[in-house]
Amino acid sequence: MTARSFRVGADIGGTFTDITFLENGQTVHSFKRPSTPDDYSRGIVEGVLALLDRIGGKPTEIEEVVHATTVATNAILEGKGATTALLTTRGFRDVLELGRLRMPELYNLNYEKPTPLVPRHRRYEIAERMGAHGDIVLPLDEDSVVEAARSIAGSDTRAVAVSFLHAYANPQHERRACEILTGMLGPEVFVSCSSDVLPEIREYERTSTVVVNAYLGPVVRSYLRALSTRLRDAGIHAPLQVMQSSGGVMSALSASEKPACIIESGPAAGVIAAARIGAAGSSSDIITIDMGGTTAKAAIIEQGQPARTTEYEVGAGINISSKLIKGGGHAVKLPFIDVSEIGAGGGSIIRVDAGGLIQVGPDSAGAVPGPACYGTGGTRPTLTDALVVLGYINPDYIAGGAVRLDAERSRRAISEQVCAPTGLDLETAAHGVYAIAASTMMRAVKAVSTYRGRDPRDFTLFAFGGNGPAVAAEIARLLDMKRVVVPSHPGVFSALGLLYSTTEHDLMQTYFCALDAIDSDRLDTAYRKLETSMFAGLEADGFARAEIEIERLADLRYAGQAYELTIGLNDRPGDRIDIAAMRAAFRREHKQTYGHASESDPLEIVNIRVTGRPRSDRSDAYRPSAPDARTGEPGSPSVRTCWFGPDWGHLETPIITRLDLAAGDRESPLIVEEYDATCVVPPGWTAGLDELGNLVLTASER
Amino acid sequence: MLAPHSAPHSGPELSRSDPVTLEIVKNALASIADEMALVILRSAYSPIVRDSMDYSTALCDRNGLIIAQGLTNPVHLGSFPSVMVNILKRFGGTMQPGDGYITNDPYGAGGMHLPDVYLVKPVFHAGQVEGFVASLVHHTDLGGMAPGSMALHATEIFQEGLRIPLIKVMHEDRMDENLLAFLEVNSRVPEQVLGDLRAQIAACAAAERGFGKVLEKYGAPAMRGMLAELHDYAERLVRDEIRAMPDGVYEAEDFIDGLGEGGGPIRFKVTITVAGDELEIDWTGTSGEVPGAINGPVAITYSVAYAALRCAVQAAVPNCEGYTRPVRVVAPLGTIVNPRPPAACAARGVMAYRMLDVLFNAFAQIVPDRMPAAGEGGPSAVSLSGIHEGKTWLITDGILGSWGGRATKDGVDGIANPGANLSNMPIELIEARYPLRIESYGLVANSGGAGRRRGGMAITRSYRILGDDAQLTIRSDRRAHLPPGLFGGCPGSPSLNIIDRNGTTELLPVMPMRTLALGKGDLFTHVAPGGAGNGDPLERDPDHVAADVRDGRFTREFARDVYGVVTGENGRADPIATEARRDGLAADLPGLAQAQLRHFMEGDQGRAALSPDYEEELA
Repeated sequence: MTARSFRVGADIGGTFTDITFLENGQTVHSFKRPSTPDDYSRGIVEGVLALLDRIGGKPTEIEEVVHATTVATNAILEGKGATTALLTTRGFRDVLELGRLRMPELYNLNYEKPTPLVPRHRRYEIAERMGAHGDIVLPLDEDSVVEAARSIAGSDTRAVAVSFLHAYANPQHERRACEILTGMLGPEVFVSCSSDVLPEIREYERTSTVVVNAYLGPVVRSYLRALSTRLRDAGIHAPLQVMQSSGGVMSALSASEKPACIIESGPAAGVIAAARIGAAGSSSDIITIDMGGTTAKAAIIEQGQPARTTEYEVGAGINISSKLIKGGGHAVKLPFIDVSEIGAGGGSIIRVDAGGLIQVGPDSAGAVPGPACYGTGGTRPTLTDALVVLGYINPDYIAGGAVRLDAERSRRAISEQVCAPTGLDLETAAHGVYAIAASTMMRAVKAVSTYRGRDPRDFTLFAFGGNGPAVAAEIARLLDMKRVVVPSHPGVFSALGLLYSTTEHDLMQTYFCALDAIDSDRLDTAYRKLETSMFAGLEADGFARAEIEIERLADLRYAGQAYELTIGLNDRPGDRIDIAAMRAAFRREHKQTYGHASESDPLEIVNIRVTGRPRSDRSDAYRPSAPDARTGEPGSPSVRTCWFGPDWGHLETPIITRLDLAAGDRESPLIVEEYDATCVVPPGWTAGLDELGNLVLTASER
Repeated sequence: MLAPHSAPHSGPELSRSDPVTLEIVKNALASIADEMALVILRSAYSPIVRDSMDYSTALCDRNGLIIAQGLTNPVHLGSFPSVMVNILKRFGGTMQPGDGYITNDPYGAGGMHLPDVYLVKPVFHAGQVEGFVASLVHHTDLGGMAPGSMALHATEIFQEGLRIPLIKVMHEDRMDENLLAFLEVNSRVPEQVLGDLRAQIAACAAAERGFGKVLEKYGAPAMRGMLAELHDYAERLVRDEIRAMPDGVYEAEDFIDGLGEGGGPIRFKVTITVAGDELEIDWTGTSGEVPGAINGPVAITYSVAYAALRCAVQAAVPNCEGYTRPVRVVAPLGTIVNPRPPAACAARGVMAYRMLDVLFNAFAQIVPDRMPAAGEGGPSAVSLSGIHEGKTWLITDGILGSWGGRATKDGVDGIANPGANLSNMPIELIEARYPLRIESYGLVANSGGAGRRRGGMAITRSYRILGDDAQLTIRSDRRAHLPPGLFGGCPGSPSLNIIDRNGTTELLPVMPMRTLALGKGDLFTHVAPGGAGNGDPLERDPDHVAADVRDGRFTREFARDVYGVVTGENGRADPIATEARRDGLAADLPGLAQAQLRHFMEGDQGRAALSPDYEEELA
């Protein structure tokens, strides 16, 4: 037997833990099992061992484990982070609580602000002051730090955040305060200072980010320690990597120091998977739609690069379509893949409002009580029930028989609660729900495309998640998109993305200056300083300096604007920084994003950024084998009657598996049933497989 | 007076569309208005757009009635209808694709005040006007007697800046260069004005494309029918809610302290009549126009009425004009809520917030579970300017905000006013840009009104002058007339303007009708009003009072004298001592408000020194 090696992906969700293996860079194996909320690491290790057992592999053959986790997000949503204290400059202990004042909804006078993660009595004011240029206005009063440390030591506080004004410009006071705290509180209290986590101007956003980091620190650190120990105990000594919200991975050690980086770990992995699969095939311009039980998430990938943002709030609930109004959560101003979320998923509840219109979501029946057809207590109709009524979903079971369905319950719930008040017949009502759900999800797609000056017709729609493939063709039709791709393993897609991920670190520093006044040598020095830290960080993660590649970016805006656009600097190392090229690149991007750009107005640079990654892409390129015969469902009925709206009515629709398309393209209508998802191919589309085993829907000429 | 015009009801000749298509069209239109709002927010140049979101976007049907509005600024809700009526009157029948119209005139064209510039474009389909895309942005400066074009001491509109009549400004999608040249020379910050105008044009262009696609998809006849139904739908939702309100006549009044050192109080009196599924808001009894810039052209009076109504109803009503049909607004001509030209109106925000307070108070008698006691009463505006190292600088900072106590929840500490979703300016950006140092920004101890549900704490911000000199103007309120409490709750805390210089402390009026000179090292501190309480303070859960003491929101003495809660050394409420203390206080409820004010003024050194001045001012 030849030597085998595995890269392992492990994605934990609230309900399921998904495990994927990439064998010898080529064959994908996957396994889904219920999560173990008492200790998520147990579910991972058991899952990995079970999959090894199934394919006859050995723990020692595992070369690397890449992990996506909701442990950070859950800690915030459930308020189960560490008891945290905050040190601030005197006069500013309420910066964290006041935030930016803005509320995310209007006309609701019973609105409640998110509760600050550190209550007022654990926010300590320290006598010290920096000026905007890093000048010391008032020296640090070390005694007041010592006093705060004493008070903290006498409490159950497990984490301390330090955020002083203008620490991005001069971190000296923060550093000294951290030294005193660490010295007095010992290594088990997690101490984090704002200039390490986010050396960026704007005191609330920086403070909030470091507070989130501290609040998560002890939780994430002990979780990753437990996971490493369990893996070692199971004979798996491979390095453990964690997916960041930005789409790159970092070592478990780095993640323990900057846990605020891994908040949207799972969704990022899914987008990365789409980018890699797209790059292996023919589509590097992609819009992804990831739809589960409660929400649908959209992201955009251009030329293989997912769009990123630093405008993020954790704990804000569903981030509805545009990012117009914030304030619903805790700001985390670190790089995130820009995901727009809508409260519409398979479990979304359907109701008829007081004015007589049908609404789908945003409230969800979730897994409990679940859609009416589950027969597990849910009586309100959901999107899943509408899909059952239309004949799109197998009326008897899903997930290979793991979940039994009762179609009669779906019909009853919709007739009683939708047909009765509106006077619509059953099929029309169900198809209406389907159309409304697709139009709601369309808003998420528009938020990442047309809202930023991108035309969705220039993109391929990549659909995954348990319910994405069921509505993808309808969303594409609404936006006039001609091509839909449903990749293999759509239900374990994030875990798949982990197999093709790359190590990536991001660093930034505020460099606030009019672009016209900039000295390019000084700017270069500032970049070099960041690059020195970057090399140190990546070397600590096991990379040789020679194999590290660094990209320089800058946040620019017209003087006076509130929002920056990030542009890449295309200079080669050693070149003088080309300011004119930066200016031109910014104007180009502004014109594309917003539809206008002044050729004469002055620009400001706000931040500089560097991204570092291994030069030779150490991750495996996506090269899957032919479709796996096991995805077929033996015994499925071959034809079902489906309703495709008033234009088409009832059509006898072949029910096939992905494998059936290996023989050649088929005309619609079709339903492609798989273990973890159902793809609906309505009239007007042709379905086929590409060389990577992706299901490809192409719009017929209309 | 009736609403400026009423949406026509969909007649029987229009075929009714199904509830599915209507929901989809409603979503599509709302998403276009949001997209417009996002383009302006992210690409405009001025801090007013960024921090105050003082702009709005809308789609209108071919009759000029709003069918969708971007989610930005509640007090702009009634801002488009009058302008649209004037556009149709003036240009109806002569419109061409690629045309665009501009105005800012409150008296001739239906605008609100001169800084708000409207840009509107017709949308064509099959050669016919089928709708409009509209945007309005508060521009930073359009000339006039003071930087920012909002001089409080203006007495007629001619002092307030450039007045742009309703004119056609775009032909074949190109702006009229002559008008741009006019704007450029009339503004103190032309690059901001032109940059913001470009953002408005881009937003309208994006919306024209989106709206055009929707029209293409459904065709004009079907769209006309659906838009008529959308108005009916919104009307139905609101009528249902009004019907559920108890019929009756509900009155409320409140005051603005007055202009300058000698100005008397300005009265706002409202009567809400609920009859069946209709509602009337009548401002008869309100003070007349004033010789200052706080008169509110009638468009703002409609806006505030609609904003208050939307807060009082629970249904998710789309922003389409049909929902205004059951509402009648009466605003006698010549009052401060419907002034005659050429009354100055640039700072009309002050009165708009007070109107909202009065309306909330009246609605609290109708739907008490949905309305809070009075909050801070709108942002205090602090303007500082000067010349530093040869360059002119100007900053206008808004300080707020605190909500009053609600039926089941405390007032919120540190939040935008329900009338305008303002943000605050980052301290670090202020210090990086201007010769100022912010020395404190936070909640004020012992502030806000006591109640079973307490009011939100007051916010303070202080500015140290680092340059050689600076000019200060202030627009604030609520010192003599405190935010009123509800159902036995105490009033909120007063606003204060304090200058510390050369070792002396001076209390300034709430709305000085002049510019004040400051020098290097001087410290200006503003304390915004605190929100009022809801319900009897002696019924507040002692544990909640103790928690506020632990958090440093209240001193122990404040808890004892205002809430009757005695806290022990362990920080917990002492139940026996508390009960005894509360029994003693119950006889003198008005005394609680006095105790509250005394503790607030004694809260720190600066304010303690002012107490005598303040008491003198009140007397």
